[in-house]
Amino acid sequence: MAYAFLARSGSLLKSATLAVALLASAAPIARAEGGETLVIARSMDINALDPARAFCDTCQIVLTALYDTLVGLAPDNKTIVPKLAASWQINADQTVFTFKLDPAATFADGSKVEAKDIKWTFERLKNIKGSPSFFMDGVTSVETPDAATVVITLAASNSEFINKLSAGFTGIINSDVAAAAGATAGADADKADKAETWFLEHSAGGGPFTLVSYRPDDELRLARNDAYWGKKPYFAETVFRQTQDAVAQAQLLQSGGADVAMQVDMDTAKSLHGNDVKTDIIPSYNFLYIALGAGAKSNKVPLTPDVRRAISLAIDYEGVIDFTVGGAGKSQPSPIPNGFPGTEGLPERGRNLAEAKVLLAKAGLADGFEIEAVYPNDNVYGVDINLMMQKVQQDLTDVGIKVTLTPATYPVWRDQINGAGIPMTAVYYAPDYYGSGQYADYFAMMPGTAWAKRAGAAREPSVINAKEAELLKKALASGGAEQEKNFHALALEMINDNIIIPLVSPNMVLAYRSDIEGVRYSACCNLPLSEISRKK
Amino acid sequence: MTASVSSPAVSLPANVARSGPSFGRRLRQVPLPVLIGGFVVLFWIITALTVSFWGLPDPIQIAGKRLQAPSLSHWLGTDALGRDVLSRTLYGAVYSVPIAIGVVAVGVFIGATLGAIAGYVGGVVDGIIMRLVDVTLAFPPILLAMTISATLGPGLVNAAIAMIIVWWPIYARLMRAQVLEVKEREHVEAAIAGGAGHIRVLGIHILPLCWTPILINATMDFGQVVLLAASLSFIGLGASPPTPEWGSMISEGAARFYSWWVAFGPGMAILTLVLGFSFLGDGLRDMLDPRSK
Repeated sequence: MAYAFLARSGSLLKSATLAVALLASAAPIARAEGGETLVIARSMDINALDPARAFCDTCQIVLTALYDTLVGLAPDNKTIVPKLAASWQINADQTVFTFKLDPAATFADGSKVEAKDIKWTFERLKNIKGSPSFFMDGVTSVETPDAATVVITLAASNSEFINKLSAGFTGIINSDVAAAAGATAGADADKADKAETWFLEHSAGGGPFTLVSYRPDDELRLARNDAYWGKKPYFAETVFRQTQDAVAQAQLLQSGGADVAMQVDMDTAKSLHGNDVKTDIIPSYNFLYIALGAGAKSNKVPLTPDVRRAISLAIDYEGVIDFTVGGAGKSQPSPIPNGFPGTEGLPERGRNLAEAKVLLAKAGLADGFEIEAVYPNDNVYGVDINLMMQKVQQDLTDVGIKVTLTPATYPVWRDQINGAGIPMTAVYYAPDYYGSGQYADYFAMMPGTAWAKRAGAAREPSVINAKEAELLKKALASGGAEQEKNFHALALEMINDNIIIPLVSPNMVLAYRSDIEGVRYSACCNLPLSEISRKK
Repeated sequence: MTASVSSPAVSLPANVARSGPSFGRRLRQVPLPVLIGGFVVLFWIITALTVSFWGLPDPIQIAGKRLQAPSLSHWLGTDALGRDVLSRTLYGAVYSVPIAIGVVAVGVFIGATLGAIAGYVGGVVDGIIMRLVDVTLAFPPILLAMTISATLGPGLVNAAIAMIIVWWPIYARLMRAQVLEVKEREHVEAAIAGGAGHIRVLGIHILPLCWTPILINATMDFGQVVLLAASLSFIGLGASPPTPEWGSMISEGAARFYSWWVAFGPGMAILTLVLGFSFLGDGLRDMLDPRSK
């Protein structure tokens, strides 16, 4: 009886809420004149629309649509293909990269893309010292022997440098247009550049789209660049409609209010029904991990290598995947995602309570200990971090480790992790381009990396793993099998550090109306808008 | 004459004269909303006190497969971590009921004390206390509670502190108005003329006559506190996971909209408890406040 009553209540609840959602979605999106409009339901995390300052998942999509890059990433997510650069040469020790520009390449205003624009863009990206400035790390000079040739010189060998240039954050800006709007590439660009606001209302690129308008927390509107020198996009206009959560995105998609939604979690995706909506479940390179702050000020016990390994052995990885994404994901042993160079054949992480207890006893912690976990209270890539940490909390209880969970807002978490440090935290990461070097630069226990600092290397220097810097240097100076071998060795070292413990790499749900085609996930650019079209 | 006057009283059954109307008759005189509200509130108070003896599954531990719909083994289904929603809902009373009582009790204590002092002493003291009240009441309660909670950090204790800060001014204003009215009465003037001290005048001659509106208001506010505590937990400023607090349970359920049962249990719990307190408060007002008749 109780079952029947509750089931009826559920139907009523769902019907009522669907009705409200449909009413809410009734506000029409203004359609472009003389062409079709693509509507994307998305929770936009935009921090800026200036390629030298923007750094977010939505920015990857938008910047790739507005600004062409020197090179592109093929649909196999591995092969670098020509874009603005028709060809390139790399010297033997991979320190000098010479690009020949495609003579047909133009900006949206019709002017030619010239070597000076590439030099100006890269120097500005470096000098503005914004979040994506690390793309230019190691660049010592950008020379322009002629209007169609760019020579980039690096301080050290980097076989992955060219991969970086496929990321939308390195999109080429029309220097004349941007400079007229107050942008500068000079050494003092971090202070002298005044164009950040201008970029929120205008674009100055040569990509397949141009920026029409952006209203934070409302919508972002792009128009097709009809003068595009490459293959023109099908849609005359693309609108990103701010849609906060997965359920609302699914309902908009179901009702026809949106054409594409790519932040729908697995549980919600199961509710999508009928022939009007299609869902592709694909593996992604995104992942969520816990990180241990060996040098955090508030540690109650020293997080020695044995204690860190014990923590990693106490986690039920399969259970985490099951409880966070209903099994629709995969485990990832090292901070380098599976499928990236060096990850083939890495040993899987697994649960071994007996060994964990032995290690804790060896560390004098046979009765367990208390540890505080502070993490951003977010729901990313379909995973509720709060839920994930409750599972970790339960798992660690089995070896006597009592975890206190403290969810925090992102700014509070950021201040804490970059200040006194956090004993245990949980975060997420998505790639910016195809290449393993980015993960070493961010996660490896090498002096100066983000996570070496956050793990408390200043207070606990023992977290630094001297082998890793050496292995990265060798990997970036080599290619092919040798590079694979070095990245593999580096990944093993990062696994043994047990500072970064990946928990789940969730599958991605690409949900779209069934008359839409060309929707795919790109490792550099998230969702290539220009490839999307409507079936005839 | 005397005998004839006293005789009817003597003729009444002794037990009636001593104990008044029967329990059943007195119960019938109580307004229906008070009965319903009282019953619901009593249920949740008893639940909060005894739920750990009911033999329910541990509200923190995994009890089955995740996101199971209601069934005979899990009457309200399971949540995303496979925990029994019914168990978590009932255990939620252990947090929500004490918070409601605690916040209102402390709010009444602080507010009534300051309000009584303000009303009785008057002058500068009254001015300072009442401006503090005005400033606090100038902010929307939910906004102020959110700001204080966010500043103090997440957690039920901090949420309770935030709610006390939001709630005390209401009682201060209410008590001050009562004291101002009662202190002008003749029996108070007589007590002062008779040489009674300030504390005696306030404590014995004034305050006992001021409690009725405070009591009615407090009863109504219990429900509001439950609601505000759940709201703070919903936005992540209240209970820390994995505490089975109703607001945070609804927040977890909201992310899994199509598994409607995850939010249904705590939603019904909040609904019944808030309604119960409201009915009780409304009924008490009808019974005790002469102005409402």
